[in-house]
Amino acid sequence: MTDGRVFVIDRVVTKPGCARAFVDIYLAEYAPGARSRGMRLCEVLISPPLWSDDLANTVTISWTLPSVQAWWEMTWKGRPDPALGEWWSRIGDLVTERSRSVAAAADDVDRLCDV
Amino acid sequence: MYSVTRLLDIAEEDRERVLASVRSGAETTQAQHRLVEPTLPGSRNGGDVLVHLRFDSRNQWLSAADDFAAVLRDTAIAHINGATYCGTPIRNGDGAGTVYRSLLLRVAPNTDADTVARFEDELCSMPRYIPAIRAWQLGRVEDAIGTSRWTHVFEQEFSDAEGLTGAYLMHPIHWAVVDRWFDPECPDVIVRDRVCHSFCHCENAFLT
Repeated sequence: MTDGRVFVIDRVVTKPGCARAFVDIYLAEYAPGARSRGMRLCEVLISPPLWSDDLANTVTISWTLPSVQAWWEMTWKGRPDPALGEWWSRIGDLVTERSRSVAAAADDVDRLCDV
Repeated sequence: MYSVTRLLDIAEEDRERVLASVRSGAETTQAQHRLVEPTLPGSRNGGDVLVHLRFDSRNQWLSAADDFAAVLRDTAIAHINGATYCGTPIRNGDGAGTVYRSLLLRVAPNTDADTVARFEDELCSMPRYIPAIRAWQLGRVEDAIGTSRWTHVFEQEFSDAEGLTGAYLMHPIHWAVVDRWFDPECPDVIVRDRVCHSFCHCENAFLT
């Protein structure tokens, strides 16, 4: 049971040789603003777990927010800021493809849907 | 049916006068369904007064459009966002609602048709998950006015204000599925312009 926490998951496939640079920039430039919007960084996973100039890596970054309300407040803070969308565009040179998904613990699904 | 939505920004000291004037003008249009109400707190970019008229046909609206536009040329009305569109509301369950909500949005130009169709399908799926939506309609805009070239109007009749600010906002179909189309941080984003989210009281079963 996770008390209705909401997970935000960025899955980023980096261009060969770009994973380390992407993670460094993400943590230095993106993460502070995300924290200020109420997001808590859980983990940054690299697959395969090696820095290689020849391989593409999949970087999976997960964040949590304490509630759905907190998730909305995060979006209300971030969405009016054009710099956020621009940041994702700016790091496009390091990225082959990416997705952002929103999730919750399986134990919480029924309760979250019972609104 | 043919629908007309107008969201009016009105100088505060003139709101009561303009509200009465617009109600009178709406009555003169002989629209089959008329709603002219102050917007409720929580509306965003939704104007001070929400006007929603539904006619049997586009021609019926056009025959009234000039006279109604003249009513809206009141100098106290600072700005109008609005749209006209075809469509028929769909009831969702047997209950009636007391809050009418209209969302005006613009899908980015050059969005491919398949993507627009998926976006529309997901919007249309929301009432299946959220019983507080007592009726709804998704319309493609024919004529848009205001800040953006609105492409869609997604309107709902909610059980009450809590249905809109609670169930609708808090259900995962909204924040974990549909919202990605509106999120500039998601690669799926297709609605980049600021939307109009406007709601007001309505009589029971207004969207029929």
